[in-house]
Amino acid sequence: MTALDRVPESLVSADSAAGAVHLTVDANIYPLDAVFAAAFTFMKRHWLFVDRPDADHYKVTLAAKDGDDDLGSIAGDFANELLSCAYRQRLAKESRATVEAVTFQAMAGAMGPPSLEELEDFDFSDDAFEDPLGIAQSWEEKYAKKDKTADDDGGDAATSDGDKTDDTDDGDAS
Amino acid sequence: MIELRFHRDVYVGECVDQAVKVYGKLGEFELVEEDNHWLVKLTARNPDKERKIAGELGNYALGLSAKRRGQP
Repeated sequence: MTALDRVPESLVSADSAAGAVHLTVDANIYPLDAVFAAAFTFMKRHWLFVDRPDADHYKVTLAAKDGDDDLGSIAGDFANELLSCAYRQRLAKESRATVEAVTFQAMAGAMGPPSLEELEDFDFSDDAFEDPLGIAQSWEEKYAKKDKTADDDGGDAATSDGDKTDDTDDGDAS
Repeated sequence: MIELRFHRDVYVGECVDQAVKVYGKLGEFELVEEDNHWLVKLTARNPDKERKIAGELGNYALGLSAKRRGQP
């Protein structure tokens, strides 16, 4: 194993006799899917093996099929491709909701407006959703005045309380 | 003989089996299960082609595993 120029030996090492180069990849920065995607672009001209020496790292081994390629350039090209794939995956993940929303709107628009027959058949009488907590109640329904009978009961109770208070006050005064 | 170790976190076992089936006519293969790896011992009928068969088998297993895991 030999180190390559301008590259840390802990990240990249070359086996000139075998015509292979080994890259150590941080799994926390480069997900396995990015390693796969980068590997696909190199499969035509290289043989690749991916190992996992520990939980935090992948070890990618590349060997040129024709054996003529410079090992340093292979390692550099793969590292660049890997970085590109990881970044593209991150962008795709972040913009997924936007892409789905735009696609949905495009599909819905392509379907066109509903025909008169479809509108005629549509049942508008169905409740849109169940409302067990009464969240969708109108202001009038929620704060409507109570029935007279309910008011009378409440009034009696209030009066009796008031009487008790008045009695106490009178006692203090005397 | 060449020994190829395919880590279980990266390669799907069925994909390694499939790759061995595809290249099975080109040599003798022995499959061994280790704790963290699928081990494939390859002895090619033509020793000059052994490295090439090993490399292509590795690429095939990697490609199938990537597809099985949803990429690309």
